[in-house]
Amino acid sequence: MTTFWIDRGHDGPARTGHLRIGDSEIRTPSLISPLETEHGITYYGSLGHDETAAKPSFIALSRRWEQPRSLLHDENLILLPSMISGGILSASVGSILLSKQLEFLKDNSDTLNPTRAIVRIDSFTDPDSIASYLDSFGSLGVRIAAFAFDGVLAPSDYRNVILRSQLPRNWAALALGRIEPPLVAPLHYFGFDLFDIGRAFEAAAQRKRLMFLDTERITPDVAPRYCSCSACSAHPSLLGLAFDSLQDTLIQHNIGVYRMALSESVQLQQENRLRWKIESTTHSSPAMASFMRKIDRAAYSYLEEYTPNNCRHTMVLIGPESYHAPTIRRFRENIVERFSPPTHKQLVLLLPCSARKPYSSSKSHRRFIRTIESTIGSVRHRVAETILTSPLGVIPRELERVFPAAHYDIPVTGDWDSEEIEIAATALEHHMNKFGDDVVIVAHVNGGYLDIVRSAEDRIRQSIIYTSPEQPVTRRESLAALADVLLDMTEILAIDDEKRTELDDHLRAIADFQFGLGAGQLLIPDEARLGGKLYHTVTCRVNKEQVCAFVASIGSISLTLAGGQLLAPLNRYWVRFAGRELKGSSIFAVGIEDADPGVRPGDEVIVLSQDDVVVGVGRSEMSGQEMCEFEKGHAVSLRHKSEVNK
Amino acid sequence: MSTIPNSFKDIIMQESKAARGRSLSKIRKRDLKRPAAKWVTVNRIGGKVGNALSLVMLTQGCAHARGNEGGCTMCSYLLDGSPKPASADELLAQFDKAMATLDNMPSPLAIKIYTSGSFLDPEEIPLEARSGILSKIAKDARIEEVVIESRPEYVNGTSLKQIREILGTRKIEIGIGLESGNDTVRSICINKGFTRSDFTAAVEAAKEEKIGTRAYVLVKPPFLTERDALLDCVQTIVDAAQIGATTISINPVNVQKHTLVERLWSKGHYRPPWLWTVVDALWRARLEVDSRIDIICDPVASGRQRGPHNCGRCDSTVTKAIRDFSLSQDVQVFADLHCECKSLWNHVLIHEDVSLLVHSSEA
Repeated sequence: MTTFWIDRGHDGPARTGHLRIGDSEIRTPSLISPLETEHGITYYGSLGHDETAAKPSFIALSRRWEQPRSLLHDENLILLPSMISGGILSASVGSILLSKQLEFLKDNSDTLNPTRAIVRIDSFTDPDSIASYLDSFGSLGVRIAAFAFDGVLAPSDYRNVILRSQLPRNWAALALGRIEPPLVAPLHYFGFDLFDIGRAFEAAAQRKRLMFLDTERITPDVAPRYCSCSACSAHPSLLGLAFDSLQDTLIQHNIGVYRMALSESVQLQQENRLRWKIESTTHSSPAMASFMRKIDRAAYSYLEEYTPNNCRHTMVLIGPESYHAPTIRRFRENIVERFSPPTHKQLVLLLPCSARKPYSSSKSHRRFIRTIESTIGSVRHRVAETILTSPLGVIPRELERVFPAAHYDIPVTGDWDSEEIEIAATALEHHMNKFGDDVVIVAHVNGGYLDIVRSAEDRIRQSIIYTSPEQPVTRRESLAALADVLLDMTEILAIDDEKRTELDDHLRAIADFQFGLGAGQLLIPDEARLGGKLYHTVTCRVNKEQVCAFVASIGSISLTLAGGQLLAPLNRYWVRFAGRELKGSSIFAVGIEDADPGVRPGDEVIVLSQDDVVVGVGRSEMSGQEMCEFEKGHAVSLRHKSEVNK
Repeated sequence: MSTIPNSFKDIIMQESKAARGRSLSKIRKRDLKRPAAKWVTVNRIGGKVGNALSLVMLTQGCAHARGNEGGCTMCSYLLDGSPKPASADELLAQFDKAMATLDNMPSPLAIKIYTSGSFLDPEEIPLEARSGILSKIAKDARIEEVVIESRPEYVNGTSLKQIREILGTRKIEIGIGLESGNDTVRSICINKGFTRSDFTAAVEAAKEEKIGTRAYVLVKPPFLTERDALLDCVQTIVDAAQIGATTISINPVNVQKHTLVERLWSKGHYRPPWLWTVVDALWRARLEVDSRIDIICDPVASGRQRGPHNCGRCDSTVTKAIRDFSLSQDVQVFADLHCECKSLWNHVLIHEDVSLLVHSSEA
């Protein structure tokens, strides 16, 4: 019996997990190779021709299945027989090959436990046609699919990733073929769990030393590069080696490069920094760049489902690869869908972003704020402060502390490319659509920020006043111009003095952003009492009972049980478990009956009992759909739960 | 192995036909009084060494290739044929032209008649031409061995009896493209259009007339890994010997124009066999098969990208060893072959089976 489950934590589809085969276990992600090594790299070969042994290994069956079945051991995982390059023949061959494997599995069910089988998916298979086959394999117990990569990142490799995204969520994915070291982290990110490092051996046979970004061929006429790995250090002069020894050395070196690449990927995934690595790798070759850009575009919803809404590190966004990263695109979409400006806003003040986050803690914003406070301080809550930035677009002041607005870093040169300007201009257009026609925009921007506003001007109904478009916005004269405009505006708009509402506005906006429109009004009703500071913690009490708290360090709201009950009518971010009483501090996937498909790993969730009673609140550890599909693994870490009635 | 659905076979046929493209309409007209090709090689003839004339007759080509089934996945000999059928007179003229090459050559001689199709198909070679050619051979006492080739469906009692009667006691072999002993491989990977039992029946019928059979064995049909191809080849040689073939000629695939194999090859989904695979197949088979049965190989386009090849450095040495072996049948000619690329080939044997990725381009 083979089982697969994953640990808590995701960074995109990347995960760590466990493949249990009988009494043995392979920790994923993991490397597999044609040679046994002492480093936990799992062996593979083909039945009847290569060794088989009573330990976890991957054994390929060829057409000649009838011969040596007796050589198989209970701990061998079986690559089902398929046909090399059959798929290229015609669109229907992929499905035929799947049905042949299914037939094979059924015909041999007496001797071959399907949970040990690995189904091969030809890269030419139509992604829309595989769901029913995967269902059939899944119901027999199959939990692993294999794909063959060609090493040149041709369209077939792109299709492999798209096909992989169609796998049931509780399956493991095996990447076979030629996988160069730079591809290990991207494939991990795209949701592959096992990596064939046969390329280490092929390259060594070709006198090639694999490096992280490229390959070096060891030839007598060129001095080899310096390499500090133990295999290479043992032979200061590679050129002096006989071919056999050179080959052995290169194999050891190449394997080492794969091990380093994978361990780096695993660590970055656990720190939620893998996307940065992926984006950097984009530049290793044009083929890699087009491969990744195409996948980003085509597989957004797949990548997004597993992308957490929080991160302990600064998110570095360096180039165009970041503009459409799942976190970034989702943020822009959520701003459009989930931010609704309070009706009392009469001015929209556009400001540039700052390197320091949250913006209000930066030097420039402290100056802006001082100017605002000293001129129209008593009615500041009537001003919708809106920060323009790339590639997030627009950020209402109320949301400057949510993820990733408070957690990103971009290179600041003042130069904006046309795509960045268009992204921000579009975001500004959507933002302004939410305000009435009589709202006035005060644009305190210059340089690239000015370009954004100018580029959106035609698409905006409201009138725009530019304060000091010709000079830097933090200069004394600029700030004076801002002060003048604001003062003028107060008179023109006849803004009256009244009670300030910033804290309520912030909390409601954050609640809406985190849980969906309407959450703010449910969690922070008019009678709510707020206390604390936005830069630290703000708690919200209703009828003297705490319902939620905004924690600035994580940029999100955590709920209490009472808060969960208030939020329940929204019908979002819920998880239903198969029971009435929660025990322990976690819920495992096996106990989940159903969940909101909108739940992402790391989200604050409400736990419902099987009778739909709110019995707990906590943090999801996987996506909502994953917890429904997995039979094993940590689904929710509980923060609060109902007292058990004795 | 479970049976492959008909739809799969249909796809192969359809794609084989599609691969021909418009090439059939572009076959140029040629002088039907001249053979398509002829050449003389040194061969083993009846235990001695002598000259063998190979003659490729210009006909309208193989019926299987012309017909609705699309022909074999690796073969475009049809395109070397003539757009219109050759008459009996024209065929006899072709034969006379080729025979002139043998003028003044001493005994023993052998003659091998190829047609890019079947010598025994009366639509391709009219009966009158067949008997005329055989009679001309019968009159030349230097010729001790005759090889003709045909698909098995034309090899029957009547035609065999006639051949035996005309050629007398000469050694006769009929070449039949068995290609693979495995029906699935032959049908799906090659689209050959006959079964193993068709082949067996033809061999049996030939035995009745004391006519030998030369089995052609394909090395590396498409859709097989390098190792599967190697094993299939060795098994086929063993099978052919068991069925009663008297000579076994193995043919490594070369990528011919307008074939399904060419389409796969041009997209990186097919690589012609390594010469190491050919060597290994010959070596393994020689040790398993009765030594009275010759196992021979004359690789076409050897060392070229479209032919069986190794790394480029060792190709000519290895090719020479393969040709030497065909004459001497001594596996020791392979014992001293070494090249760095052999470890790459060893890797391919293992890795293609596991990954099902064609290791074509030199990454």
